[in-house]
Amino acid sequence: MKARGAVSAALASAGILLAGWQAGAQVVETSSAVAASAGTTGTGTGTTGAAGTGSAGTGASGAAGSASSSGAAASSGASGSSGAAAASATYKGALVQTRFGAVQVQITVSAGKVTDVTALQLTDDDRKSVQISNRAAPLLRSEVLEAQSADVQTIGGATVTSDAYLSSLQAALDAANL
Amino acid sequence: MNTQLLPAPTAHKGPDGAGPRAGSGERAGSGRFAGQHRLRMLRTDLLTVAAWASMAAAVALWLADGGAASISSPASAVTAAGIVAGLVGMDLVLLMLLLAARIPLIDRTIGHDRALEFHRVLGKPSLYLLLAHGLLVAVGYGMAEGLDPVSESVALWVLVPDMWLAFVSMGLFIAVVVTSLVAVRRRFPYEFWYAVHLLTYVAVGTSIPHQFSVGGLFAEGTWQRWYWLAICAVTGAALLYFRVVQPLAATSRHRLTVSRVWSIAPGVVNIEMTGRQLNRLTGNGGRFFVWRFLARGLWWHSHPFSLSAEPLATGPDGAGTLRITVRNLGRGSAQLASLRPGTKVAVEGPYGLFGTAARSRDKVVLIGAGIGITPLRALLETTPFAHGDATVLLRGSTKQELYLSDELLEICRRRGVRLFHLIGPRARWDSRSWLPADAVRSGYSLAAYAPDIAEADVYICGPNRWAGNVIAEARAAGAGAEQIHHERFDW
Repeated sequence: MKARGAVSAALASAGILLAGWQAGAQVVETSSAVAASAGTTGTGTGTTGAAGTGSAGTGASGAAGSASSSGAAASSGASGSSGAAAASATYKGALVQTRFGAVQVQITVSAGKVTDVTALQLTDDDRKSVQISNRAAPLLRSEVLEAQSADVQTIGGATVTSDAYLSSLQAALDAANL
Repeated sequence: MNTQLLPAPTAHKGPDGAGPRAGSGERAGSGRFAGQHRLRMLRTDLLTVAAWASMAAAVALWLADGGAASISSPASAVTAAGIVAGLVGMDLVLLMLLLAARIPLIDRTIGHDRALEFHRVLGKPSLYLLLAHGLLVAVGYGMAEGLDPVSESVALWVLVPDMWLAFVSMGLFIAVVVTSLVAVRRRFPYEFWYAVHLLTYVAVGTSIPHQFSVGGLFAEGTWQRWYWLAICAVTGAALLYFRVVQPLAATSRHRLTVSRVWSIAPGVVNIEMTGRQLNRLTGNGGRFFVWRFLARGLWWHSHPFSLSAEPLATGPDGAGTLRITVRNLGRGSAQLASLRPGTKVAVEGPYGLFGTAARSRDKVVLIGAGIGITPLRALLETTPFAHGDATVLLRGSTKQELYLSDELLEICRRRGVRLFHLIGPRARWDSRSWLPADAVRSGYSLAAYAPDIAEADVYICGPNRWAGNVIAEARAAGAGAEQIHHERFDW
């Protein structure tokens, strides 16, 4: 009787674990497909020559630096050629590691003013982090555009993301000499 | 030796008289209790499967969320191990709560004391898993951020919402397990230990917020969240219903009132109660109830006692009397002798498997010592057996210690039961002995009193060491583990 219970418990557990593993593998396939397409759009937008300084800001990982520099050459010519005060340039912030994933932002500066903040990478280790990021990023962006500095309130319930966002932003601002 | 042999008047055919003895292999295959026994074994197996499956499910849900694929660096591997430890630990804590919830299905399948035994067994593993969860996650997060685990923990406490609650919860879990360890338990009064144990609910309660707000697996919109919400809710509801609502309902339904308290031996009292709808409590001889006498200074003690007589429901609406027999075991029990008639009584139960529901064979052997004799009396009164199929062994160091022996003698006469009184000091030279010294010297063994023990249900109730010796000898005489029914009463 004991053996029957043990064997059926083992079989049931193994089955459940296998089903979980299988479902997990499918999730990974779909999410990596999404990540791949996200990656291509990211490089497509391109970046400016300022990228190099941005990533140098707080010594981010080598991988991030090399990735941005490849796109740099293409667009820097375009924005740099106008040369006038009206020209807008983009600066990348440092890549900040958090326990929920890496964060990196990019600012667009025009006439000494920050006109846009784009999040290149946000905390995305798990679904909860993605949710938090999606909620916090627009709020942080509008706060920053209004304050024109990294000296803004962090978003409640997204403290880690906010802190990383703002320190990456500060690096970008430093790079832009703002 | 004072052995009293009462041959059953009608059916003294002896163990071999009933035709060829069934082979040991097919003993459980027939007889009136075979079906009940098979069902109970099936339920046992199903509960085992459910418990293991719930642990597997905890891990499987994490895997299904892409857990294994998230491991890309040493840091994430450590974090993942921490998360799995936390999930399995949480599952074990919920299992522990369910085992302590006195759910009838569990109680009727493995019995109250075995459920609590499993509860105790799970205590340490679940604490270790939760500790590992905290440590591994702090180390893993710290590695990802380049912080040492201590400053990472501080950062988690300060920065991440709900995390300070999780730290509080961890401290409470440690406190509960440490105070529950038997060695420590002995140094504190039971009520202190009980109050600390109630902290478990606070510990579980404070641990839940961070699981749902910080834990990625429980994120909104995932079906994993619904699974965990559901099992938390089911556990909470089971506790609330079976440990609070049902006892209150039983108390108000039966309206038990102490009617008579009288002493039957030094330090031993009978307590008789009257109440209503007592017919709903009958037929379960030997199972125990948790009593609470609502008098000043007594109401906060709860006492687990078996009935020493089946309820007599004579009046309309099941009105009648029932009785328990109590010996001064602890401070709480000592005060019971001074109970006044008219005292209201709160009751929970019946609990335990020390009754007919546990029967697996047609024959039955009841062995009791001291105050452990009293639950046997109620069982002997009702459990079904044919004349000559039952044997009762009563053990005490003096004749006065064979409580209720007159009543038992009367029942044995009426139902055709072999009854032995085993009186005298124990054999001190033999640590495995349970018989009086005289009987040991004369070379008697359990099989000498109950030759058919290998094909009988054996009910044993008495002090732990003594009962352990009886169980060992019963096993040696050929009784299988499922035939042995033992109730601990040294709570």
